[in-house]
Amino acid sequence: MMKKKIAAAALSAVMAVSLAACGSGAQTSAPVASGDQSGNAAASDGSNTLTVWCWDAFNIDAMKKAAEIYNREHPEVTIDIQETLAKDIRTLVQTYAVGGELDALPDIFLMDDQVIAKYIQNYPEVFADLTDSGIDFSQFASSKVANSVSNGKNYGVPYDSNTVVAAYRTDYLEQAGYTVEDLTDITWDRFIEIGKDIKAKTGMPMLTNVQGEPDLLNMILQSAGISVFDENGNIALTENEGLKEAAKVYLTLVKEGILQEQTDWSGYQGSINNGTVVGTINGSWICATIMSTDQQEQSGNWAVTDMPKLNDYTGATNYSAQGGSTWAISSSSKNYDLAVDFMKTTWAGSTEFYDSILQDLGAISTWLPAADSDAYNQTSDFFGGKAIYAQIVSYGKKIPVVNKGLYWAEEKEAMGIALAKVLEGSADLDSAIAEAQATVEFNIGQ
Amino acid sequence: MKRLRLAVTYLILAVASFLSVFPLYWMIAASTNNSTDVLAGKLTFSTNLLANVTKLFAQQDVGRAFANSVFYSVILCALSLAVCSIAGYGFEIFHDKIKDCLMSVLLLAMMVPFAATLIPLFRMFTAVGLQSTWLAYVLPTLSTPFLIMLFRQSARSFPTEIVDAARIDGLNEFVIFVRVFVPTMKSTYAAATTVTFMNAWNSYLWPKVIMMSDKSQTMPMLVANLSSGFSIDYGVLMLGVLICSLPTGILFLILQKNFANGVVGAVKG
Repeated sequence: MMKKKIAAAALSAVMAVSLAACGSGAQTSAPVASGDQSGNAAASDGSNTLTVWCWDAFNIDAMKKAAEIYNREHPEVTIDIQETLAKDIRTLVQTYAVGGELDALPDIFLMDDQVIAKYIQNYPEVFADLTDSGIDFSQFASSKVANSVSNGKNYGVPYDSNTVVAAYRTDYLEQAGYTVEDLTDITWDRFIEIGKDIKAKTGMPMLTNVQGEPDLLNMILQSAGISVFDENGNIALTENEGLKEAAKVYLTLVKEGILQEQTDWSGYQGSINNGTVVGTINGSWICATIMSTDQQEQSGNWAVTDMPKLNDYTGATNYSAQGGSTWAISSSSKNYDLAVDFMKTTWAGSTEFYDSILQDLGAISTWLPAADSDAYNQTSDFFGGKAIYAQIVSYGKKIPVVNKGLYWAEEKEAMGIALAKVLEGSADLDSAIAEAQATVEFNIGQ
Repeated sequence: MKRLRLAVTYLILAVASFLSVFPLYWMIAASTNNSTDVLAGKLTFSTNLLANVTKLFAQQDVGRAFANSVFYSVILCALSLAVCSIAGYGFEIFHDKIKDCLMSVLLLAMMVPFAATLIPLFRMFTAVGLQSTWLAYVLPTLSTPFLIMLFRQSARSFPTEIVDAARIDGLNEFVIFVRVFVPTMKSTYAAATTVTFMNAWNSYLWPKVIMMSDKSQTMPMLVANLSSGFSIDYGVLMLGVLICSLPTGILFLILQKNFANGVVGAVKG
């Protein structure tokens, strides 16, 4: 009986709460409850509001800064930043394009460089052509602009640098009797030698990576100018000597325990933030992750240098690219002119803007005039008092441009499986690569 | 021998309950730690809760997301129970060959993954201008084959003699349903409430697509935002997950006993 009473009381409490919530819920969602106006809730309606979709505090804060600078001259303009995940932006662009509901897209949205080319190709109606918009694309790093060019037309404004850095803990290197100079301008063979030695002396792996996502493999490929696509954009994994060479390096790193594979991003971030690895190789944006540690003692004990090169492979360099993203303007934007003007004055025209996001967020631009600014020569206490930004910019100029094809993400997934199979011993490298080739061909319908 | 068997049973149950409860414990403990400690696998409570709360509320509009989630979930849950229980009751009490056949078709529909119907559904809703309304949130999942089946199975154990007696007493069919059937099916309703509320609360893809305004953000979207990016604060993330899982947890605890009865009843039927 007592229990019944309690249950009844609890249920009525739930009812009461939910009724109250109905009230407040209705209130909060009032602006969206009215049909037509809400249909265009995302894209602005011709007023002075620009709606922006992007993800991660790194991008959101940069956009906020751009808005702040633009508002000085244009106080009447509102930049409405709506946090939307990278994968959700892909789903929404696809759904709204197929569903013919382009008005639902925001004025400006961010897309990761890995997929933007594919989306421009598949849903050209979504992207506004910016070729004659007045934005000077020659002022951006050419390897970056190439990601959002299709048939000679520009569809995106490049954002952050994807220059690869190798970041190491100098205190760990010192324990094993090495300095960061010993790891600068070296080959992978030499790196493996040093890695084995450091592993023996400190017990720590040199590098960390997410299992099944062999970003490192792709960084090695680009550093040596190796493409996994032929001139016609077809996947070319088999009989690709460069790929085989790079895969061998990757496999050796894992087998020797020099590269530790993590189950997911949290394991990856954890291994860096908790100091259980000597370092990592990734796009320069990884510096923000490195600095996000709560361990104070890591400050001052990091250094940045270039990545190892693919031994004696012709065209091998110590420089590569990984990640990064690009801004696009929706073709459906009712504020196209305003959106272009906003992008032109901030993202493609303000040294002050890039200086400030560099200082506050560590965001390195691909807008070339920004690199001449004094801000890039500032030193970072976290990275041992070195001018790492100037260093990264100098690497960026030497990255080989490769034909990345449209189906980069599919290739990465298939190669991740191939490498895992070789590592667990269920296939040899040649057959695993052949299988990856077949998988990619099937997935992209070639 | 009997004792040994009992000991083994308890041992297995102890391990099973540890495995079920441990993640919940870790979630709560992690929400009081800083990110680096969470990543290092620290399992004890710490003093970082307030800092995490401050950061979470500074980064995200938790109040609005929570209110939205409660609003949509409660509406969906209430309407869904009303529609599916009537359907389940009807399929059983008034059953004939055609209705049985229709039921099988409904069950087949359970096989169609949501991703396959996403775009057609989206086109349907935008064609009639329902995008970004609560109706759009609620309608696609209002009637689910699973719930109809649950109520139909329960209705099987409901003696048809009572329905006949009520008819003789002059009650109309709707009143019989409301006054006679519904009160005896409390445990089924409890089970259905738990399942429906949980599904509505956790729903992600469809709301993300059809609710085009940032103002319609729900708790799962908020948690997804917290877990994106390259420097995730895992303490804050775990706090977000904790807040997000509280309502379904509380609801389950309240309806726990009835939930078990409801599910067992349906299977027995």
